[in-house]
Amino acid sequence: MAKTILVVDDSASLRQVVSIALKSAGYDVIEACDGRDALTKLNGQKIHLIISDVNMPNMDGITFVAEAKKLPNYKFTPVIMLTTEAGEAKKQAGQAAGAKAWVVKPFQPAQMLAAVSKLVLP
Amino acid sequence: MTHETKTDARIFELSIEGELTISRVAELKEIILPVIANNKDIEIDLSHVTEIDGAGVLLMISTKLEARQYEKMLRFVGHSGQITEAVDFCDLSTFFGDPIVISSQSA
Amino acid sequence: MNLDDALQTFVIEGRELLQNMEESLLGIERGETDDDAINAIFRAAHTIKGSAGLFGLDFVVEFTHIAESVLDKVRAKELAMDGDMVALMLSVCDHLGCLIEHVAKAEGMSEATSQMSRELGERLSVYLGGKREDKAKETKSKTSMTVDHDARLEVEGGGEVETDNWHISLRFGRDVMRNGMDPLAFIRYLATLGRIVNIVTLTDAVPPLSAIDPESCHLGFEIAFESDVDKATIEGVFEFVREDSLIRILPPRSKIFEYLELINDLKDENLRLGDILVSCGTLTETELANALRIQTGSGNALHPIGEVLVEQGMVEAPVVEAALEKQKQIKENKGSEINLIRVDSEKLDQLINLVGELIISGASISLIAQRAGMPDLGEAAATMSRMVEEVRDAALSLRMVQIGATFNRFQRVVRDVSRELGKDIRLEISGAETELDKTVVEKIGDPLTHLIRNSMDHGIEFADVRVARGKPAHGTLKLDAYHDSGSIVIEVSDDGGGLNKEKILAKAIKRGLVKPDQPITDKEIYNLIFEVGFSTVDEVSNLSGRGVGMDVVRRNIQVLRGTVEIESEPGKGVTMRIRLPLTLAIIDGFLVGVGGSAYVVPLDMVIECIELPPRSKEQGDNNYLNLRGEVLPYLRLRELFEIEGQVGRRENVVVVQYGGHKAGLVVDSLTGEFQTVIKPLGKVFGGACGLGGFTIMGSGEVALILDVPRLMQQVTSREVSVAGQ
Repeated sequence: MAKTILVVDDSASLRQVVSIALKSAGYDVIEACDGRDALTKLNGQKIHLIISDVNMPNMDGITFVAEAKKLPNYKFTPVIMLTTEAGEAKKQAGQAAGAKAWVVKPFQPAQMLAAVSKLVLP
Repeated sequence: MTHETKTDARIFELSIEGELTISRVAELKEIILPVIANNKDIEIDLSHVTEIDGAGVLLMISTKLEARQYEKMLRFVGHSGQITEAVDFCDLSTFFGDPIVISSQSA
Repeated sequence: MNLDDALQTFVIEGRELLQNMEESLLGIERGETDDDAINAIFRAAHTIKGSAGLFGLDFVVEFTHIAESVLDKVRAKELAMDGDMVALMLSVCDHLGCLIEHVAKAEGMSEATSQMSRELGERLSVYLGGKREDKAKETKSKTSMTVDHDARLEVEGGGEVETDNWHISLRFGRDVMRNGMDPLAFIRYLATLGRIVNIVTLTDAVPPLSAIDPESCHLGFEIAFESDVDKATIEGVFEFVREDSLIRILPPRSKIFEYLELINDLKDENLRLGDILVSCGTLTETELANALRIQTGSGNALHPIGEVLVEQGMVEAPVVEAALEKQKQIKENKGSEINLIRVDSEKLDQLINLVGELIISGASISLIAQRAGMPDLGEAAATMSRMVEEVRDAALSLRMVQIGATFNRFQRVVRDVSRELGKDIRLEISGAETELDKTVVEKIGDPLTHLIRNSMDHGIEFADVRVARGKPAHGTLKLDAYHDSGSIVIEVSDDGGGLNKEKILAKAIKRGLVKPDQPITDKEIYNLIFEVGFSTVDEVSNLSGRGVGMDVVRRNIQVLRGTVEIESEPGKGVTMRIRLPLTLAIIDGFLVGVGGSAYVVPLDMVIECIELPPRSKEQGDNNYLNLRGEVLPYLRLRELFEIEGQVGRRENVVVVQYGGHKAGLVVDSLTGEFQTVIKPLGKVFGGACGLGGFTIMGSGEVALILDVPRLMQQVTSREVSVAGQ
């Protein structure tokens, strides 16, 4: 059974590329455009990994992760946060929320795939 | 996600179903501890375990150590494919000393 | 979906982000400084850079990176968003737009563009303290783990061990599993990079079940690993846990000394680590014995070096709190943004087309019910028609977009043009939330630009003149939009000097547009400026061009089935009012018949219907008739469309009005009002003059929709040629 990954980013093009890369590696992908959208998409289903941007409208990534971790099904779901090298303060806040894995934007699809594989192999 | 217990003569059998992962180890600890305390000879059936991770392996190790501490007999039986793979991957079959090969057909 | 589609998304997204960026910048320039706007600007750059990186668009990433770095400093309040910065960022915004257009056209950078990248990059770098630091590199070097003893070991010596394997010691941090990371997953990933020769799970360190918190990670591993990858790659495997875990990686053929240090470091665990290294195959018995001898010899000189752990001490609570607080604010501010779904406009068109078909079949059912004399069916059909109308309205509203985005774009135009002219002009926008058809919004931009430029150039006076006239020194241009009885009105008004009635009239007479003694209202005079080739300004300015403006404006608006009129008050200013239909897809029509054919006249253009006076038929009246004392030119559709057959006993005239002109269309029969779904004519009919499309009636018959503005042009041009005779 394919592992399911939730990709949360306000950039549709980024979601598309990441999604293409993950699907070709054999993962199932669910996309969400911001934190609020992502919370509704969780929906209790099994998610093996969450990839989330930090800076998003409606609900930012750090709030989203903190909220998701409050739900019993996602308390232990691994999270990769996307950030810029400029976001050191954000990173600290994100770690407090329970996001320990960070990938720096911009990244190549292959880099994302490697980061994902470290946490969840397809 | 349930587990059932049944007694057969002197051997106490405990079956774990569903995931043996981080999301359940706290719950499983509370179930296993009294079983070890109250029985001398225990078999934990893993044939219905669907998924195992590091936390699951850790739980197996500490369960085994707990039993050893009180000199109880505790065997893991009916390893599902997932479990056999994880135990082998960590090279723990010697540590557990359980008859994996015999019961691994349930994979 | 493939990468090309994704790239297309990137281009669209980029354009939108840049537009937001521009609006925020202009807002700041007007003094609406707030953190939200700056954050929006930052995010635009941030998102573009992030996505561009995915596509490997290095020329975009490189440039955006510098801009983003500067913006980050602005966001952190290290730099001020002053006038210079806004101006620079506007150029950055324009240039990014240019880069994205390169991407859209799938072409590389032109020489001019890369020159621009360099220039702007240098101007931006000034804000970064002159040096362009390569942050990516910096981060990379930080990622590699700090445990690197090579330099020291050369001095301290000790023989090499024989193994060709890497040795990896892992002690996972207590919270690793709680953070959702599975220790086994990392080792499984490691296994994809090479071969795990031996792995020892450190069971001795695990507490028994009663003493353990099973969510806390007590797992440790010693791994002998065979692989050709470099150290950084192996370190990379554990990058997500390195901060709270103890990870030691020894390359193949490391010095015995290093293993010794490893054993020493992990001594506290009370493990027989030496034995474990031997069982891993990393050390031989002899090597271990040697190592232990060295250890005893050198005493306690070696210190455990948990350099990895040092980083943990750098996390300070206040920083975290401040960041969380900021995040909370951002979240609250963004809460009001509308949740949108992006839909391909083709899908919408398809839906509207289907609804159109539905209206036609609805009409067909009503017709059948009527013919069959079945009142029940008729009633049901009427109910359905009502529903269909609601569906139609809902479907059409999907195509509706707010005009605000279009209006906001003019902030930039007004800013640039007023600088160019040396006038201080402010733009006031209202009615931004008024919705109209997407196609209309797209096409109204050009005419609006023209009107606005015209007002700024010719309407609003220079500051000294204004002050002399007792007006505020800065001019005000207003853009307003509102709904008015089934149509949309867009107003462009200025508080300038107003139109010069005498000058316009004089010029019109000179051009032969009006006769010197012709009675003419003020309004008619003002509207003369929309005539072809009309310009009152003697000297031609850069902006408004050579008087080719206003007639083009009117034509563009007419194409949208709209009208434009002008109001002027001397000394107070001019208001130009554009009236547009709500939608382009469906109109209320007036159905007429000529011979066997049916035609539809847009109802909003129909003024009245009269019977053609009998004498007009017999006498050659030069196609003019007397409408209550008014001269009304008319067109015979029968002649125009060359329809065969006998003219009926009675002929009717539909009086239509458009663009301030009236004309009559002579037809055989009048059928009545009819809701019309406009379908475009095929290319074959491209040359058919006076037809705007066709529609299918309930009976299944085709009716042609008349292009009244075009017909009107024919009438008026004939009028002019007649007048010229």
